[in-house]
This record gives sequence, C-alpha cells and structure tokens, in this order.
Amino acid sequence: MTDEGRNQELEELRKAGRPCFQCGICASSCPVFRVAPEMNPRLAVDSVVSEGHVPVEGNEWLCSYCLMCEERCPMGVSLAEILIGIKNISSREGKAPKDFVESGEALLASGCLSPQSNRSDKKRVDLGLPDLPQPDLEQVKLIFEATGAYEVLEKNRAAAKEEAE
Amino acid sequence: MTTSDPKGSAEPTEIEVVSTDSELRIGVFPCMCGKNIGAVVDIEAVAEYSKTLPGVVLVQVNRYTCADPGQREIEEAIKEHGLNRVVVASCSPTMHEDTFRKAVKAAGLNPYLCIMANIREHVSWVHRDNPEAATQKAKDLVAMSVAKAATLEAQKELDVPVTQAALVVGAGVAGMQAALDLADSGFKVNLVEKQPTIGGIMAILDKVFPQNDCSICILGPKMVDVAKHPNINLITMAEVETISGYVGNFDVRVKQRARYVDIDKCTACGDCVEVCPVDVPSRTDQNLTWQKAIQIPFPQAVPSSYFIDQDTCLGMDLIRCGKCIDRCEQEAIVSSDTARYIDFEVGVIILATGFNPASPEKIPRLGWGRYPNVITSLEFERLINAAGPTEGKLVRPSDLTKPHSVAIAQCVGSRNIDTRMNCSNFCCAESVKCALLIKEHYPDTEVTIYYQDLRMHGKYFEEQYLKAREEGVKFVRGRVGEIQQYPKTKNLRVSVEDTTHNRLEMLDFDMVILSMGAEGQSGNFPIPISCTSDSFYIESHPKLRPVDTSSAGVFICGGAESPKDIRDSVIQASAAAGRAAIILQKGRYPIEALSARIMQDKCNRCGTCEKRCPYGAISQDGTGKFTVTGALCQACGTCAGDCPQDAIYMPNFTNEQIEAQIQIALAENPEDKIVAFACNYCSYRGSDLAGVSRMQYPTNARVIRSICSGRYSTKFAQKAFELGAGAVLYSGCHLPADCHFQTGNHWMAKREPRIRGWMKRNNIDDERFRVEWVSASEGKKWQTIMTEMAEVTERFKKSKPKPKKPSAKPKKKTEPKTKAKPKKKTATKPTKATKAKSSTKKSTTKKKGGK
Repeated sequence: MTDEGRNQELEELRKAGRPCFQCGICASSCPVFRVAPEMNPRLAVDSVVSEGHVPVEGNEWLCSYCLMCEERCPMGVSLAEILIGIKNISSREGKAPKDFVESGEALLASGCLSPQSNRSDKKRVDLGLPDLPQPDLEQVKLIFEATGAYEVLEKNRAAAKEEAE
Repeated sequence: MTTSDPKGSAEPTEIEVVSTDSELRIGVFPCMCGKNIGAVVDIEAVAEYSKTLPGVVLVQVNRYTCADPGQREIEEAIKEHGLNRVVVASCSPTMHEDTFRKAVKAAGLNPYLCIMANIREHVSWVHRDNPEAATQKAKDLVAMSVAKAATLEAQKELDVPVTQAALVVGAGVAGMQAALDLADSGFKVNLVEKQPTIGGIMAILDKVFPQNDCSICILGPKMVDVAKHPNINLITMAEVETISGYVGNFDVRVKQRARYVDIDKCTACGDCVEVCPVDVPSRTDQNLTWQKAIQIPFPQAVPSSYFIDQDTCLGMDLIRCGKCIDRCEQEAIVSSDTARYIDFEVGVIILATGFNPASPEKIPRLGWGRYPNVITSLEFERLINAAGPTEGKLVRPSDLTKPHSVAIAQCVGSRNIDTRMNCSNFCCAESVKCALLIKEHYPDTEVTIYYQDLRMHGKYFEEQYLKAREEGVKFVRGRVGEIQQYPKTKNLRVSVEDTTHNRLEMLDFDMVILSMGAEGQSGNFPIPISCTSDSFYIESHPKLRPVDTSSAGVFICGGAESPKDIRDSVIQASAAAGRAAIILQKGRYPIEALSARIMQDKCNRCGTCEKRCPYGAISQDGTGKFTVTGALCQACGTCAGDCPQDAIYMPNFTNEQIEAQIQIALAENPEDKIVAFACNYCSYRGSDLAGVSRMQYPTNARVIRSICSGRYSTKFAQKAFELGAGAVLYSGCHLPADCHFQTGNHWMAKREPRIRGWMKRNNIDDERFRVEWVSASEGKKWQTIMTEMAEVTERFKKSKPKPKKPSAKPKKKTEPKTKAKPKKKTATKPTKATKAKSSTKKSTTKKKGGK
C-alpha cells in the first residue's frame, strides 16, 4: 500500500474518531479491558485522533469485536471499526502478531482457520451429522488476491524472518 | 458642517420635466459626502445624467445631505417643487435611510416614498482606482433607484391596540416570577398551571445550591404572594387549549380539569385522607411512597386545597365509596365538578412551561428501575427532604438501611447523541450539592462523584466545589459504563474507567445516584414557535433577543427555553416580564408597514405561502381565501419569492420594482454586469463593510437590495440572464441559523437547483450563477466574490460570439462612450482628476507588489 493510501486511511480513522470526548464509557464497558488493561479502546482512538498515528504496541489485536463500546458510546463513534482500521494499517506494515499470520497461512493452505481433525470427523459421524463441506481453495485464493491479503501475508512473513535473523 | 454646494442650490431654477407621467415628480439629491464620494465619483456628471431620467423634476447636489442644512433643503424642495418621490444618492440605506425618511416625513410626504442609491459604500469607497467606471456605476445606481422610486407607494404606518393583560403559562419559579413582575407593574396576569399546585420542580427540592438554603422556605412565601396578588388570576389544573389572534390581541381558551374540591371551602385539614381507601404512588415523592386518591401535593401547596385524582378514585357516590364527602365538615367536595373552559383576552404571552427531568428508563445499562438502590437525583431530593417519605433520613430503598458508600454518576441522559446532545447545565452543581448534603447528614458516608467534565460555572459554584473536596468527596474523571447488582445484598458494582489514570475501577457501593439532565417538553403549545430538536423553544436571537420568540408578543423563560438552574430561571423570567411590559405599557403595537398582501384575483390558492411563512401570518379562511395578518407579518417576502402565481404583493419590494432595477442595471453592456442580490441584514451589510474597509473590487456589480434572501424569486435570475447578464449572485445570511427571518435562506437555497436546471436547459454556464452566504462581518468575502465573478463575466464575454448579442453590443457600447466621456471632461475639476489618478497609480503598484 502506498504512503498516500495509508495516510488517507489514517485520515479517515481520525475523522471517524473526532467526535470522541474521552469519557471512558467504552473502556468501562469493554470485557477485554477488564482482563487485559493494556487494551483500552479509548486510548487507541486518542492516539489516532490526537497523535495522528496508529499505536505501536499492537494491543488492538486483543479486541474481540463484541461491539459493546459502539453500543454504549454517547457520541456514536464506531470504536470497533476504528480498531479494525488500526489493525489493517499495522498488518500492512508487517506488524501483525504471529498467531494472526499463522491463521492466515492456515486459511490459505486449507481453507479453514482450524484444521479438521479425525477426532471431530468421528464425533460428527457419532452424532449423525453430515460430512463437512470441503473448502474450495481456488475461491479462497481469489479472495486473497482481491483483498490484497497475499501482500499482507508476504509482508508479515518477511518481517518475521527479519526478526528471526 | 458646510452648507450646501452653491451650484446645488442654484440648480432648482433649471428644472427639467422629463416625466411622461404628469403625476410623478421625483427629486434626486446626489451627495458628495465631502470628499468621500466627490473625490472619486464625478457628482456633477451624475447630477446632469439624473436630470435626463424619466420623472425627475429636480436635481440638487449637496456636500453633506445628511447634515441639518442638507435635510432642511430636502424638506424645502419637497414643499417648493411639489416633489412626490425622493431619491438620495449618498451612503448605504442601512446608514441613513431612517434619517431621510424622517426628513421627508417632516415635509409632509409619506416616508416610504423616499429611497436611497448607495454610491459611497458600493461605489466611491470600493472603486477608487477607476473614477470613470465608478461614475458610470453611480449613474446606473441612481437610474435604478429612480426607476424604483417611480413605482414606490405610500405605506400606512398602523398600530393595533394592546389588551392590558398577560398570559403566563406554567407556574414554576420562572412563571411565578414573570407573573409577579407583571402584576406588580399593574397589569392583569392570567397564570395557568397544569398541576394542582404551583411551584414546579423547585417546590419538591430539599436544599438549593450554591448556598444550600431550604428550597420551600424561600419559594413558599413567593407562592403565597402569587395566590394573594390582586392582579393575578391563578388557574391551576388547566392547560391552554387554543390561542388565536396576534400581538396585543390574543384570544385564549383554557381548559381546566375537574378538581372535585372547592378551593374556597377546603381548609386542608386532611380529614378526608384518613377515610380514603385508595392508595396511589405519590407524584411529589417520585413514587417512593403512597398517597390517597384525595390528596394535596405537599403541605405548602398553593392553592392550599385537596383535589381528587379522578383516575384512581373509586367514585364519589355512596354506592361506590363517597367516604370523603361524608367526612368533610366544610362540604368542600363537589362530586358534580366537571372540566370547564375559561376564555379571556391578553396582549402578551409568556411561556414558562419548564422542562421534564430526563428519564433514566431509556438507559438500561445503569439499571434504574431494576435495581432498587439506583435512584435519580430527584428521588434523592425527596429522601433527604425532611418533608419526604423518610422524613429526611437517607436510606437504601431495598432495605431501608443507611448507605455507607454512595456513588453519583454524572451526565445521565445528557451529552449523548442518542438521548440529548447538550449539557443539562445544572446537574454538576446539583450533584456537588447532593454530595455535600450527604456529608452534612452522615459525615462517615463515602461519596464518589464520577464526572466527565465538572462544569461549576456559576457564581459561588467553585466555592462549593472546594468545600466538597475539603469534606472528602472523591471526584473521579470517567463516565459510568455500567452498574450491576449483587442479587442478595442489593449492593451495586459500578464499572468506570478512571480516565486520569487509564485504569478500570470496579467498586462496590450501597447506593448510586444518577444525576439526571433535563428534557424539553415544548412543541405542543397552540401557537407556532420553533423548537430545537430536543424540544426546547428557540429564542428570536440567541444573544440579543434571548427571551423573545419569532412570534411577536410571545416570550419564553425558564426551563422551557433551555435547562437552567433557579437563579437563571428567575433572571430570565424577569427579563421576559420586562420585555412583555414594554408592549403592554405602550398600549399600542406598530404593524410592519411593508407587510405582504395577497392579490386575490391572481391567487390560485395553492397554499405555498402558508407553508413558507415562519410567523404563521398567512392563513386560509372559511372560503379558501388566503390572507395575511399584518400584525404577524415581518415582511421578509419568502412567500412572494415562491409564489407560483406572483400573487403576493410585497410593498416597495414588488416584482415589478425589482425587475425594473434589473432592466436598468443591464441596459448597457449586460454581458459585463453582475446582478447581485443582497439581503438587508447580512449580505448587504457585508457589502457595506467591504466599502467601509475600502476593499477595492471591479466595478461591474449592480447590487439590488431586498429585505431577506427568501424574497429572491427564481424569476429574477432568469430575467437577468434573459437580458444577457454576465453573472448573477444570490447572497443571504449563513445557513443554517443566521437568517434574521429564520428560514428565508433555506427557502432561497432550495431554489438554487431549479435555477441551475433552467440554466442548463438554456445553455447558460453554471459558473455564471452563484449562491453565497455573506454575513455582515464578511466584507473580505464580498470582495473575493465580486473579484471572482468579474473574472467569470470576463470569460463569458470572450467566449460569447453568439449571433444575438453582438448585434446589440456595438450600438450599446458606442452610446455610453460618447455619452459619458464628454460630460466627464467638461465637468470634472482638475484637482479631483489628478488626485484620483495619483491614487490609482498608488493602488495599482501596491496590487502588483502584493501579487
């Protein structure tokens, strides 16, 4: 992604976050914040709006997208969407956490996020459930191409390699 | 001040009668304004030119027309020469129109037959570099004004009698104050209250901030004053049903519900309550306790009389119940009581209908209604009130024990785009007061206030905040996210992010008080007054007319206008009473002389005008005829701007007059000209400011003044383009709320697409028409627009070798040159010319340097 595109995306996030008056209802409603105080949706929006960059710590990846923050925000700010936007930007820079990259790789390789195991297949037979449909890998690839997920994966792989070295 | 120019005074002898209409005798008075106009505009040439205009019988140049001698000359000229129209070519009409109208009136002529041509702010001050073109523009402006003057009509200045009585709606603290002020001034006041007692919300509060004095102790005597005042007619349990008429003459019908108790006989002994078998939740005590079906809101109620709650009473006959009738020794209970209508006339109306405390029902995350120990601030007021259900003991509703820790949550129902966007103004101070009251009664109770921004903005408020801090009240910045209840203990767990320390606080409290904001309840009053989206009445001007409304003679105060505390309510009530007293005291109210009239022969009764009028001045009578109530009309002309039949006559801003002005403005070189429409209160003043600030711009604009931008019909732009205008500007007050007439600019903006559509069909370049919002402070913007539009006309001229215009061009182009040049050469004085030229050079070099 070009710098210009990135800046535009960031600008849109800032615009979406500007009505925020930092009251803290989102954070006090956030189930993740209760167990992981580093993930504070209010501060994530604040860093985008007032500091003009996405937070570097990468705590947004902890968001469970329950939308409680959006539901209760008195200013109607779409916090979960802003967090998604932050994640998009940082993943394009190769800053996605390892497990998210692995999930992406798995999705590309097998078409599903968690692999089908023999045990679960057996359980399905026992319960009289039909066989799971097999994912169409070609379709998955098309989606990866269309969304630019290939480049994101590539970027993150390269970043991981660099770090390993 | 100098006396008039000797040449000017010599001129009356050389009268030229050019008028075809023998009736028309126009006098033109070009003013030099010292050097302000005279140094740039060749005033003699303008005078000479004026003599050739149709209908002009006298031209008289003055050095200072506005000075006493100048005015006297106008008066004398009117008498001497029998003038019946006066055109003063001098400064802006916003500056001296009144002055000259008065002078004209003094001479026995109707003041509305005087008009001004603005050759100072619109010519000499803004075209210093180009005296030749400036003089030409001045001539055009004078010609436009003369053409308009020819069709001016005398307008009657009427007034209507004012009924010396007032209606005050709502008897809370604001309504009571307004009623008392007016009654003390000697006017009859009809005070209408919906509830069985007066006093409003203040009557049920315990202490009131910032001094924490007892609420009912200071309000009670005032309530008695209201009840005893000989000039106040108190009507409780009543609502205004209909209002008709206009300022000075409102016919009011009030519907009073049945009380079933004779106010005069009831001694409020309370015997009836002892026998009444029906329990109903107490309204006064916020449903925290029970009352009987026959009840009195509180002991100090005024009128001091019981009433029967009709919805819950079993029946006032012996078969169903009737116990109270038996018991009442005074025989005060009237079982046959019915609702009745009360009609009266008033001259003014004051709305003091107050606000509703916001309801926390809509905010499920805070648990009010499900968790008994979550209470609102009003419920707290009753709990801590010695006259309340617990006799002043603060207890938890769940188990009636004393709470050891109390949390107060701020901004509930306020500052939230889903409920109410705005701050409710009083709740911060209210909460600090609540905290102090708890500390005062139970010093060992822990009190925490969760706030977002603590707005202690009033007089003495900061002292109270300091006191609360000293008393040990905890203040935590962060809005409460959610409240959960422990099922067994009914204790509450409050989740808040302490935003100062970026950490989650989940603390347990025995009780939580929700600091409730206010909700507007305006909108259903039977008279058209605009309301905000959250149902508060909108004032006529937010700063300069804060208690007036768009309807003349109707005023607002207290919580009906916006959420406010007691002090502000009282201040505003007195202000409203004072404003109302001005109308009452004068006894007569002037009607806008220029109010719209509907020409019934042209009207097709489409009803558009009725929808356009922001004042409800246009109405349809039984026969389907639309008529204008002169006393309500403010003469903005928005109705006329959209009338498809041109059936609305706007005195002195008629279609014919405006079209005549367009025609004359475009008589020569139309492709060069900008026809600029400017509204009186913003854009025209903005253009004046450009003049006052000496902002130079090209000379090709011809400004046509109108009262409001709502008056600009689509036809004016079309007419201008048909006549070949280079560009057309419609300018008004800024959207959304600057319009002096509330909605004129909105309706004008809605015409823009229609005009653009018409332009597209007629192959007229989009850039040649502009709609702009120019405020009275935006002289710079006016200059920019004029400069940009001059470029547009320039481009248009180059790109236009169309067959029609070139044939017309050469004729017209040659004419003015031959006309204008020789005159100037003969008339200009050498000193003026050199001065003007030198100034031209200076400014041109400056411009170049700047660029």
